[in-house]
Amino acid sequence: MSDKVLTLPAAGLETEVLPVRGRVVKSKWARDLLTFLMVFGPGLIVMVADNDAGAVSTYSQAGAQYGTHLLWVVLLLLPVTYFIQEMVVRLGIATGKGHAAMIYQRFGKWWGLFSLIDLELVNFLTLVTEFAAIDLALNKMGVDPRIGVPLVAAGLVLIAVSGSYRRWERTVVFLCFLDLAWFVIAFWLRPPVAQIVRGSLLPSMPAGGLTPDLMFLVIAIVGTTVAPWQLFFQQSCIADKRLRFADVKWARLDTFLGACITITVAGCMMIAGNASRVHGFTFTDPAQMAMDIGTFSSGFLKNAILLMMINAAVLGTTAISLSSSWAYGEVRGWPHSLQLPLRKAKGFYFVYLVSVAAAAGVVLIPRAPLQLIILGVQVLAGVMLPSAIIFLQLLLNDKELLGEHANRPWNNLVNWTIIIVLFALSLILAAQVAAPKLFPAA
Amino acid sequence: MATMTNPIERNEFRHHFVVVHPLDDAPETKVDTDSLGPMPMTMSVRVSLLSLRAYLVLMMLLVLYHVLDLAKVFG
Repeated sequence: MSDKVLTLPAAGLETEVLPVRGRVVKSKWARDLLTFLMVFGPGLIVMVADNDAGAVSTYSQAGAQYGTHLLWVVLLLLPVTYFIQEMVVRLGIATGKGHAAMIYQRFGKWWGLFSLIDLELVNFLTLVTEFAAIDLALNKMGVDPRIGVPLVAAGLVLIAVSGSYRRWERTVVFLCFLDLAWFVIAFWLRPPVAQIVRGSLLPSMPAGGLTPDLMFLVIAIVGTTVAPWQLFFQQSCIADKRLRFADVKWARLDTFLGACITITVAGCMMIAGNASRVHGFTFTDPAQMAMDIGTFSSGFLKNAILLMMINAAVLGTTAISLSSSWAYGEVRGWPHSLQLPLRKAKGFYFVYLVSVAAAAGVVLIPRAPLQLIILGVQVLAGVMLPSAIIFLQLLLNDKELLGEHANRPWNNLVNWTIIIVLFALSLILAAQVAAPKLFPAA
Repeated sequence: MATMTNPIERNEFRHHFVVVHPLDDAPETKVDTDSLGPMPMTMSVRVSLLSLRAYLVLMMLLVLYHVLDLAKVFG
């Protein structure tokens, strides 16, 4: 691969000649590899950021309560999460616009407004849970959250306001790769390999059968693996990065690799939970799980899990806050790009700043009802997900809008199946939380 | 379509490829969504979406009530 940089007029622009900076390579494989590396980012980020603080808590709880029995559920979610985000890829590349803008334009202001309010509400509550996790992990590490939380919030603002999409993306991709430390953690805990393979490939019921607790956890796993903000985030991210029609296959590969990484990392979190269970600990939260693991392994593992909790929350916060800012900017018609400096996109960055600062502020309020907020977020996200996907599904069948990129019959079959299953699960989840007396304990 | 994967026609680059980062590339023509206007929807789609909206509002109120109940707001 040559390092030579070529600048030449862009093809196909007859009225205006814009300089295009390209990198010259000699072989097709180098061209493909370099193209992929240039397109790579939005898919990985949306998937890894989905393993946020709530996900760390849910997956490790699943491992701590049911060992490796629910690994197959996570594996089953790999195609689900990929299929949904792949639709977003096509929509984003074909229109060059974000999801909120598309709902506004194609369904009208009334539906657009509802979608935006739903998104902003759940996003804000989710951000509170991210900072709650940061607070918890910092506490266990002996750092005063009153200092640590504002510092993390300041760092999150700094990585976004640099006026360079590439700078933000590189920083976040680096944080995504840090998430691979979960593999080291899982390996260090001497995982029962045969049990893991069995738990992943053979669906089985844990001892005790199908209890309401198990049902709740399965739904929570589904809810945490596929979240409404992901649709808005990836489409806006693709639009901001200005991915081209020729990039579709690489963006799909990016999304698929991201899905594989996030599902495998989720499995590693379950393995960590399983390790604490095997040593007789009862799960309360992932920070406490880290402390428990520290008692029978090295202090390194304890700190690694706590740091990974913070990393997960940071990734979740930057992605969720950006999905809010992009969506709000698209709807209000404000300039909304990470490529723009602060002075040229004040509204866009203001929403990002307010999202981060307000969520961090709520966590620092003494005796704030964080547990209630976490519960509310899980249910709201579960309830709203199917409706968000229905808008996506309708947009993807809009031939006037997407032409050859519209869904094919097999896409629709897969997606409607996913929607029906998610709808049924969200209904059960909502009913379980809203009317627990309907579900007597086992 | 921009120049991303097109071989360059100049002699010195005849057997070379130029790869352009999306942010460095010329903007390509996308679907003109502004001119499309709102999506035509059949009555059944409208009714389904309205039912979905009603379901969502109901579930949100239910969740809000449950959370406030857990917070012992109602005593």
